[in-house]
Amino acid sequence: MINYTEITIVFILLSVLLSLSSSRLMTLVKLMALQGGAVSLVPLLLEGTQHLPMGELLFFQVMILIKCIIIPGLLVLAVKRVRIKREIEPFIGYHASIVAGLVILLVSVFVTGYLKLSLPEGHNFVLVSAITTMAAGFFLMMARRKAITQVIGYLMLENGIYLIGTALTNPSHTLYVVEFGVLLDLLVGVMIMGIILHNINSAFDDADTTLLGRLKD
Amino acid sequence: MIEFVFLLPIIMGLIILALPPSVGRLLLLITSLMHLQLTVMTWLGKFTPAFAQLFKATPEGLYILLITSFIFFCISVYAFAYVNETDITNKPAFNGCMLLFLGTMSMVTLSDHPIMLWVAVEATTLVSAPLIFIHRSKEALEATWKYVIICSVGIALALLGCFFMTLSLDLTNIRVPLSYTSLYKVASSLDPIWLKTGFIFVIIGFGTKMGLAPMHTWLPDAHSQAPSPASSLLSGALLNCAFLGIYKMHILMVAAGLGQFSSNLLIGFGLFSMFVGAIFIINQPDYKRMLAYSSIKNMGIIAFGVGIGGFALYGAFLHILHHSLIKSSLFLSAGNILLGFNTKKVKKIGGMIKYLPKTFVSFIAGFVAISGLPPFGMFLSEVVIIIGAIQSGKYLAVTMFMLAVLIVFAGIGKACLSMSFGDEVEKLQTKERMLRVIPPYVLLAASVIITIWMPQPVYNTIINSIQIIGGKIHG
Repeated sequence: MINYTEITIVFILLSVLLSLSSSRLMTLVKLMALQGGAVSLVPLLLEGTQHLPMGELLFFQVMILIKCIIIPGLLVLAVKRVRIKREIEPFIGYHASIVAGLVILLVSVFVTGYLKLSLPEGHNFVLVSAITTMAAGFFLMMARRKAITQVIGYLMLENGIYLIGTALTNPSHTLYVVEFGVLLDLLVGVMIMGIILHNINSAFDDADTTLLGRLKD
Repeated sequence: MIEFVFLLPIIMGLIILALPPSVGRLLLLITSLMHLQLTVMTWLGKFTPAFAQLFKATPEGLYILLITSFIFFCISVYAFAYVNETDITNKPAFNGCMLLFLGTMSMVTLSDHPIMLWVAVEATTLVSAPLIFIHRSKEALEATWKYVIICSVGIALALLGCFFMTLSLDLTNIRVPLSYTSLYKVASSLDPIWLKTGFIFVIIGFGTKMGLAPMHTWLPDAHSQAPSPASSLLSGALLNCAFLGIYKMHILMVAAGLGQFSSNLLIGFGLFSMFVGAIFIINQPDYKRMLAYSSIKNMGIIAFGVGIGGFALYGAFLHILHHSLIKSSLFLSAGNILLGFNTKKVKKIGGMIKYLPKTFVSFIAGFVAISGLPPFGMFLSEVVIIIGAIQSGKYLAVTMFMLAVLIVFAGIGKACLSMSFGDEVEKLQTKERMLRVIPPYVLLAASVIITIWMPQPVYNTIINSIQIIGGKIHG
């Protein structure tokens, strides 16, 4: 029998490692679409689809729509508008980033083992990938200069936190009004970041965050 | 339907986005008045929540809601005149986002579900970002970018904290709905390790939004670049809402018997914020940044007072009220100065007493108030916090507290006096108008009146909010 949860988690981990190594922004956005889709599938696979009422299925569809299509779509628009194809001269190089990603993965396996939480079967791997995704998102935000890569880092961080939420908490707490609120915040957040990004690009002729250094004490 | 309190401004804000600015600014004023009315009705207990698991009128929430609503009304009067006198290109966005901002902040104050509270706090970041960006300069762009990125990441950590809080409930065998009210009841059986971890993430996350050092870096930039009514709202209302997120979790910690842990964290962050605020105020060249650092210092005082607990907790709640009134008044005065001289540099401004006499009075009175001198309320709240801290035997902390207050007094005093009586460099460009002068006066007067005569319902609400974690009025 094929364990679909583990396959999905492998996809998430691969997308994390690949995004740390890729310099092309379009590739990064595609990886985010893959990751967003995989992340929204995990709770569905963990719970099992046969017990789900209609309303919940509908919610997961909306979630996949937002995380896998709308947000990456917005990012594609942003990348096309700012007309930058790749990240040049990151603070931390790509090879070093992959090594850092692997170290993060090892540390999260260790941390998950150390916590000794009595999690249900299969949730341990979710926790490992959640911590890895979160930490890698942080890493991406700090290691890259372009504003758009920082937005992608933020999305990864948010994906990781969502995974922790699904791995750790009991699904009986889930209120779909609240979950939808979280999702809406994320969507509007990315839209606003995209608008500011576009304005940074037209004001400074580049979407490089190192140019933002006018306000100081 | 208690939800009307936040739905009304949100719906009106969305409508205003589509209307011409001349109608928009009038609607802003009317909606703020209606919101004040709804707030008073909520205080009288006329509403019951439709979604009882998500929203609830808690005393601490009602207290912050009343402050927010009153300040917003004063600011909307000011904004009514202000919006026509500055070069804002997108006036509907300004008016609309002001109301959306009010709506999301009211939602924070009424939330009882931890994640709903998180959703509302994150929403305040998103709807206030366009307000900071409204002038469209390169500096405004930088401030907005920092604001959105730093606050979003910070608040994402708070979400993680909320998940840990949920985990601490799941590890027990108790099954209660996830809301603060029901969590308080079962607090003592929650898992302490995860509760502690959750509190660390919550204080870092919401502390970013509240402006606690060292996560404060967005605050001076955003406050100095936003138009003055928006800075005044950010400082007077938004920081309180973020504080509410920490305070609700602090109550849970105390109820779970981990009060020592969370209090120490609050005292530490509080003292550090006070010092960071004080150090950057000295010789600050930009007066709006100076006021922003003063907010960081005052948020530090509030965190400190809550951490000390007991009598100081009462002082902290008084401080929230008076800081909001005084600081928003000061930002409105600063807006008048900015309109008058068209510069934010302290050195280029002088002779306010000659050119802007009415603003001079409100600015100097605001300076006296923010320095903690009588007859304004901050005198009372700071004295109460000091007495409370001495009672609990934290002498070193009190010494540091007083030192920071002294440094701030010197720093703001120097800037204020040179702006009022020094020689001017820039010429006066815009004269004062009554609508822009009265709101700062009203806010300051409110602080004086509440010091002398505190209305009984307000007093009861403060007592109800602090009693639950052992705050008291009789030392």
